[in-house]
Amino acid sequence: MKKILVSLLAAVMVFGATACSPSGQQTSGGKTVIKVFSNLPDRTTGQGLVEQKIFDQYMAENQDIDIQVEALDDEAYKIKMKAYASGTNLPDLISVWGQPSFLDGYIDAGLIAELDPNDYDGYGFVEGSLAGFSKNGKLYGLPRNTDMIAFYYNQKLFGDNNWSVPATYDELLALAPKIAAAGISPVAMDGNDKWPISIFITDLLVKIAGTSYQAETLKAISSGDFSHPMYAEAARLLQDAFDAGLFQPGFEQQDYGTAQNLFINGQAAMFYMGSWEMSMANNQEIQPEVRDNIRAFTMPVVSGGAGVATDIAAWNGGGHSVVAKSPVKDKAVALLNYIYKPENWTKIAWENNVCMSAQDFSQYKTGSETPVQLQLIDIFSQATSISGTTINDLGSSDFKTKFEDLSQQISIKSITPEDAISALAN
Amino acid sequence: MTDKMKTRFPLGRGIILAVLLLFSVIQLFPLVWLIDFSLASNTEFFTSKLLIMPKEIQWGNYPRAFIDGHFLLYLKNSLLVNTLAVVVVLVLSICSAYAVTRMRWKFSQAAKSVILLGMMIPIHATLIPNYMIYDFLGVRDTLWSLLLPYVAFSLPQGLFLAASYMESVSKEIEEAAIIDGCGTFRLLGSIITPMMKSSLITVMIMTYLNNWNEFMMASTYLSTSKWKTLPFSILEFTGQYRANVAVQFAVMTLTAAPAIIIYIILSKHITKGVAMGAVKG
Repeated sequence: MKKILVSLLAAVMVFGATACSPSGQQTSGGKTVIKVFSNLPDRTTGQGLVEQKIFDQYMAENQDIDIQVEALDDEAYKIKMKAYASGTNLPDLISVWGQPSFLDGYIDAGLIAELDPNDYDGYGFVEGSLAGFSKNGKLYGLPRNTDMIAFYYNQKLFGDNNWSVPATYDELLALAPKIAAAGISPVAMDGNDKWPISIFITDLLVKIAGTSYQAETLKAISSGDFSHPMYAEAARLLQDAFDAGLFQPGFEQQDYGTAQNLFINGQAAMFYMGSWEMSMANNQEIQPEVRDNIRAFTMPVVSGGAGVATDIAAWNGGGHSVVAKSPVKDKAVALLNYIYKPENWTKIAWENNVCMSAQDFSQYKTGSETPVQLQLIDIFSQATSISGTTINDLGSSDFKTKFEDLSQQISIKSITPEDAISALAN
Repeated sequence: MTDKMKTRFPLGRGIILAVLLLFSVIQLFPLVWLIDFSLASNTEFFTSKLLIMPKEIQWGNYPRAFIDGHFLLYLKNSLLVNTLAVVVVLVLSICSAYAVTRMRWKFSQAAKSVILLGMMIPIHATLIPNYMIYDFLGVRDTLWSLLLPYVAFSLPQGLFLAASYMESVSKEIEEAAIIDGCGTFRLLGSIITPMMKSSLITVMIMTYLNNWNEFMMASTYLSTSKWKTLPFSILEFTGQYRANVAVQFAVMTLTAAPAIIIYIILSKHITKGVAMGAVKG
């Protein structure tokens, strides 16, 4: 028995030892390895597909490079990124969010490489889109896309029922009971993930405060003083939406997919989500009577608010950065610059109807854009101001958690605006 | 229930059968639901109905799950890591249970308490410190980086069950064996372990099932696909904001199948083992 036990343990150890591979290796088959850590795990659709296409193209053009991708979803990505930051073996090129809540900690720790803004002179980045990726005047990353938030609606459903697109917030709330009377939910909202509610609040803040939203909010977050009346006002307006029954019943427990499918299956007249969902109009799995009638409008104006209809909530969220201590830093920067050449990311993303890039994409219009795609471009190109980073992502990661929790509580009236504001200040 | 009783109380038997049937249906429903939705399209997914009849049965979800989800590679890794973890946990549980229940040494109870304390430590709290240790040891992204934490987190439970059963094994048998010239390892292997079969099978199954679906540690400690386990298959269908839920359900059905088969084969022993643990623990 002793022999069996010893041999078994030995077998386990030997097997384990052979399973070990040398770490920190940077070459594979004579090629230089660039390790990419991405938050786009699905490499066959959407932005993950675009990223992978560009990597494949780069490897075909540069036979001496091997790009190895490790991809995790957002939550796991953020945990692993912390682990990477505390170890010695970081990847070379990483996905980042151009928001202080994510990026600041890594920049302060000296983990992110500084980029030369002159490299990007001809790249056509939309004005202000690099702000979230910069700190103290230095550039640390490049934005992948421009996101804006919208109400997607079913035009046919609106027409058949004589509902009109609301021009004011009051009209939006007045529309809710009419839609509910038809037996469907007015707006499908992903309340479970909380961030869409925080974006809704940002949307309201933009309409209340206009262009001063971001400057005021940055001040409020750094001082912990949220006494500016716009915060209480936005909270009250959100609670008015709850009173009017704007969102589907139990929205706070329903996630992204559930909310989206309410809209897709005709059980909700509108869907509050980001511009990346414009691809719904091309999704062959969606029934044609919904797919062909998807249109969009942005948050209507708020009475007495400083924001006009063309002040919109839009931001540049995800992007890429290079790790400062990467042994192949120059090659990683070269790859980063390649990704963002307008004929790569911008063109491929637009042609695949994946997202609006953060660069000028007007030259890549194909002529076969869907109506909703054209509508969103119009809204964006006619915008007199864009909000920049949404309020939940303007502070630290603790602030993000606290704000998102509170916004969900406000939306279901389990906390008063005043209590929420004092909780935020603490 | 004797044969006489069966014939005397057909109504009672009927009620028992009906109740058991009801429980079986409730127990099995999630599985039926899983399989049902794994054959639907992604847009049919969210409906107010309990079960759906897909407009067109999407058999294609399974090949996608199989190929794009790298199912075979991840299945092989899952089977390997889990089997090794089970073997190590069983060996360590038996040895440590013997050491703390039978051997007389000063710190035996303290050692048992320290190992059992492991049950209290949340996995999240260990992620980054363990990552740093593995990084230092150079075992990150290797089989060891999964095997070590899986064994460590399963051992307290294994020791608890094995020790509580071992305490009830009569010492006379061991003494008789020792008088006949049996050594410690032979005593453990040939006398005690066979007597503990049921509780060890419980340890085995619990270790297997706990680690089968584990993702948080695997996603933190592994980087390349060489040792990735089955839960990563589900991830392959997660977009930035939404997921291809129908294919994920197909992956889940495929992932659940081996665990269910193992459970069905060993279910008799699990029930017995858990009952014993409950009485003797």
